[in-house]
Amino acid sequence: MMCRLIQWPRKVAQAGLLGLFILISLTVHAQDDEFNVDGFKAVPILTGSTAYFTRVTAGQYQDAPTVSPLLLLPMGDKWLVEAKGSYGDTFSKNAQGDYNGTISYGMAYGQIDYIANRYMTFVAGRFTTPFNIYGERLAPNWIRALQPNPLTSPVTSGSGLGGMIRGGFSGTDSLNVTYAAYFSANNTHHLLATDRSTGGRLGFFLPRQRLEVGASFQQVLQADRPHSSGLFMEWQPNRAPLTVRSEYARSSGLKGSAYWIESVYRLSQIPSLRRLELVGRGEQFFAAANISAATVKKLGALGKDTNEGDFGMNYYLRSDVRASASYGRQFVLGRDANLWTVGMTYRFIMPMLPQGGAQ
Amino acid sequence: MKMKFLLAAFLVVSALSLGLMANASSGDKDAAKDSSSSAVSAEQKAQNESMRIEGEKRFRSNCGRCHAAPPKFPPRMMATIVRHMRVRATITDQDMRLILRYMTE
Repeated sequence: MMCRLIQWPRKVAQAGLLGLFILISLTVHAQDDEFNVDGFKAVPILTGSTAYFTRVTAGQYQDAPTVSPLLLLPMGDKWLVEAKGSYGDTFSKNAQGDYNGTISYGMAYGQIDYIANRYMTFVAGRFTTPFNIYGERLAPNWIRALQPNPLTSPVTSGSGLGGMIRGGFSGTDSLNVTYAAYFSANNTHHLLATDRSTGGRLGFFLPRQRLEVGASFQQVLQADRPHSSGLFMEWQPNRAPLTVRSEYARSSGLKGSAYWIESVYRLSQIPSLRRLELVGRGEQFFAAANISAATVKKLGALGKDTNEGDFGMNYYLRSDVRASASYGRQFVLGRDANLWTVGMTYRFIMPMLPQGGAQ
Repeated sequence: MKMKFLLAAFLVVSALSLGLMANASSGDKDAAKDSSSSAVSAEQKAQNESMRIEGEKRFRSNCGRCHAAPPKFPPRMMATIVRHMRVRATITDQDMRLILRYMTE
């Protein structure tokens, strides 16, 4: 039994490699012959977002201005360099009532993409781990419907350093299939730390029903070698301006498991409130079983079962400027807390060359 | 040791695939240019309109799943944005083309 457990990650790696061979051999003949659609030459772009949020967590005030620039540098018809950084300063009151600032900065991702053909893109560098959908697609603060991170976020490693294959194709007119598989090396740099790991994601999108479901897997190849698995779904019914999203993540190690379900309703049917959306999210975190008191202390927020409910609203002053406010109640054994957030986000975008928008 | 072998095999296969793909010919480019320069007939207009509708549909179902609809940017900027989103959100090639066409009209 023990032997089987040790062999299992190797089998996963072998199966992954076999899948890779099949994918490459299937797509190597499907060359992209007209990627440069309509002859538009892509230009370098600087985009990203700035935000200013005031948070009150269990009575503790924090003011947090942040900026997250993203540089997009296309090269030829098939290459794209993407680099996203972040810089923030968090001001909070100390015991004397004075405000102290804590600076934080880092690189979310810095990667080079090669669009090999219609179905496959190779990625190399530092990238966001393709585990479920929150980290890759919903995390930017101008996109996320509620500013507090969901409880699933700490369960899996957020970044990788290595290579990834990803893409999508239409199975039929009513089904799109998307995939991503990666390998990451261990990196101990304090700003760019990553685990040696491998994993991937498989998604199915039904355009007519506007429903996406999928699953993710991650195997850490160092230390205790824990593995994580996840499920996700996103649905936008055709008849209502509603979005329902959910994620579930479970780790075999000390990080426990969690899920969240979120709904966003845009009041587009009421002319005077069409820029307003209402958001609600419920989530639960379950700490790993049989962990010692010392481990619980070391794990901090990951050491105790947590229930949380959040409600918020976003008002779009323009398509790129949004005011947000939310209230959440967190239930942790012996330490319930109120979570208030209010602030604004601005998404900026500009070409990096003169007359970047001209034909 | 075995993991190192697997990684080396992965890198070799990836490099071979990249080389093969880089050397592949791009056959239908001229045909696409010819068709775009031909006279716009009523039939083409109807086809363009149906592609616009389809593009809008794909835009709403793909982009609108995660964020509010952005304004239309100049075509060369849209080409970069769509390429970025194709990778980030694993948008299919067909959807990407329809979205780019819709967003640059």
